[in-house]
Amino acid sequence: MEDKAKTLQEEFLKVFEKLDVALGWETGYDSLHATPSFIRQSQDLNRMVWNPLCSQNLCTYLAKTLNPSVRENDKKIGICVKGCDSRSLIALIQEKFVARETLYIVGIPCEGTVDWRRLMRLKPSLKDVQAVTIQGNELCVETTQKTYRFPLHKVLEQRCLQCRYPNPIIYDCLIGHPITPRAGDGQAYEDIEKIEQYSLSDRLKFWEKELDRCIRCYACRNACPLCVCRDRCIAETRTPKWLTQRCDLTEKFLYHMIHAMHLAGRCTECGECERVCPVEIPVTLIKKKLNQIVKDMLDYEAGIDPQKQPPLLTFDPGENKI
Amino acid sequence: MSEKIFIAQGELTAVLERLSKEMDVWVPVEMGDEKWGIRFLPYHRDTVVVLNRQSTLGPKNVLFPQVETLLSFRYQKDDDDPSKQHIDLKDRQDISPALVFGARPCDVRGFLTFDQVFLNGRYKDPYYEQRREKTLFATLLCDTEDSACFCSSVGSGPGDREGSDLWIIPVDEGFVVEALNEKGRKLIPVMGKQATPEQIEKARRIHEQVSAKHVGEDDLTRSARDFTGRFEDMDYWRDMVSKCISCGICTFVCPTCYCFNITDESRDLTGERLRSWDSCMFYHYTLEASGHNPRPEKFERYRNRVGHKFSYFPDTYNGMISCCGCGRCIRSCPVSIDIRRVVHHLKEAVDAEV
Repeated sequence: MEDKAKTLQEEFLKVFEKLDVALGWETGYDSLHATPSFIRQSQDLNRMVWNPLCSQNLCTYLAKTLNPSVRENDKKIGICVKGCDSRSLIALIQEKFVARETLYIVGIPCEGTVDWRRLMRLKPSLKDVQAVTIQGNELCVETTQKTYRFPLHKVLEQRCLQCRYPNPIIYDCLIGHPITPRAGDGQAYEDIEKIEQYSLSDRLKFWEKELDRCIRCYACRNACPLCVCRDRCIAETRTPKWLTQRCDLTEKFLYHMIHAMHLAGRCTECGECERVCPVEIPVTLIKKKLNQIVKDMLDYEAGIDPQKQPPLLTFDPGENKI
Repeated sequence: MSEKIFIAQGELTAVLERLSKEMDVWVPVEMGDEKWGIRFLPYHRDTVVVLNRQSTLGPKNVLFPQVETLLSFRYQKDDDDPSKQHIDLKDRQDISPALVFGARPCDVRGFLTFDQVFLNGRYKDPYYEQRREKTLFATLLCDTEDSACFCSSVGSGPGDREGSDLWIIPVDEGFVVEALNEKGRKLIPVMGKQATPEQIEKARRIHEQVSAKHVGEDDLTRSARDFTGRFEDMDYWRDMVSKCISCGICTFVCPTCYCFNITDESRDLTGERLRSWDSCMFYHYTLEASGHNPRPEKFERYRNRVGHKFSYFPDTYNGMISCCGCGRCIRSCPVSIDIRRVVHHLKEAVDAEV
């Protein structure tokens, strides 16, 4: 992991004068958290890290903060992407929010990122962490006192347990070697199938219970790399007004449906919406269900091929399933 | 009878059961099976109270609900003269007495900043005032700080009893509970048996030990001038806040954030006037009717958040800062923005210019 961080820094250093900014991760408020890093000076590159805590999908800044469709100079934006992140990037390129030539993409094959809360459940007293690495099927957390080992399936994020794309699909430079996906295509929607085995009324109960906690902080929307309406989201427009300020289930449900519907056939399943949720609602399930439908009907998966036209952004009169 | 009683771990449910017959008892519970997060909910039979870690969502909701109906209205047409209509208004609220059991000193301190705004100014907020008067706080001495906590940096601490009515100290296999004022004293007989001298002595030692801890590294209470010095340094704010995604988590989980919105939500001839949580992190927070937005960018919005807590608020309310050091905004932030760091570094600019 140390080596990969070093390689990462070196790769960026090689091209740094052609970059406006390099987006990566650095150590956050403690050694159990990474935080996005916007490096604008080459001497700061040594802050960049790569480890299983680098969970944020940095592509979310592209269509929002950085807006690479409008460049003031010919310098590029350097960005680190994991496998899942690279799919978001492709989707942004397909939808013309980002021009491929304005980016310098550093791809990193990823064995999974840690779900901090699951780790805390297993070991609430975890303190003085020095390093976090993945070794085989275990997460190793070195503290000043001792090294703890946790089975990966107990501490990784849900998205990583079903990951089919650990390797970046698009990149200018790859750090390390491609790795074998944890899940096959057949396992992609296992979590959805589990929910679908519930009876309709149980399914309703499940969602009522989960969505009831929503506080409408809009973190799921804002963390989403493909939620590109920025400050014009219809969840907050006043004219017309779709949602009220009430915080009952109807409003929460409607908001989440709006979010999901706008991502149908666009969601790249990076799982950021679920990762950032402060009240731990499994919101990715809703988006994955829509993706499953799009896959069945249109044989399309978002963020795989930059040349392909997303089916719901076009109209094909010969389409035989609609 | 002594004011210090002992509740054995195994008796806690029975105590809460008894209390909940007299009032709404808000307790920290897990968000769901296998979830790490905790929120406060009214106690009912089968509630599993979790006291071993700080809640994700504190008890802010108890005194300041995410949404409350200020009044409801109905337009009525005059049958004799259809061009006229009058409005039926209903603005009565029934507030029941409540107890918040198991909040932490930081949670309670949040309400001390609320008091300044809603009670101690020129106008009193009747909605807040009623709830405040009818709500008691049985606060848990805090011995579970983590790397995001910094209560001592803002003038509080893990043994801070200010604002609480009852004080809970975990001792052996239970809790020693002490009344801190008259309101709290009234609940003591319902809560349990007198503590033994040994338990009281043990509790005293634990309290002393925990109170001596300094949680957090800096002193952030004197940052007002530093903030003013940094105000126009946009590079600083860009540097600190580029990674912000402009969601409302930090403000919604914050025990001291009290901004609200008031909207009339109506349909056909009926409707309600609602007060709901607002967030200064949102673009729409400052959007004006003209379309102009004085804080269109997240840098300006985040700067305002820091300024409000560490500069404008103390300027208005006798030096009190509106941050309780609970660390929730750090812990729950999707991109791990650390407000301590932002405030800590304010200083350098001022010094550098001197």
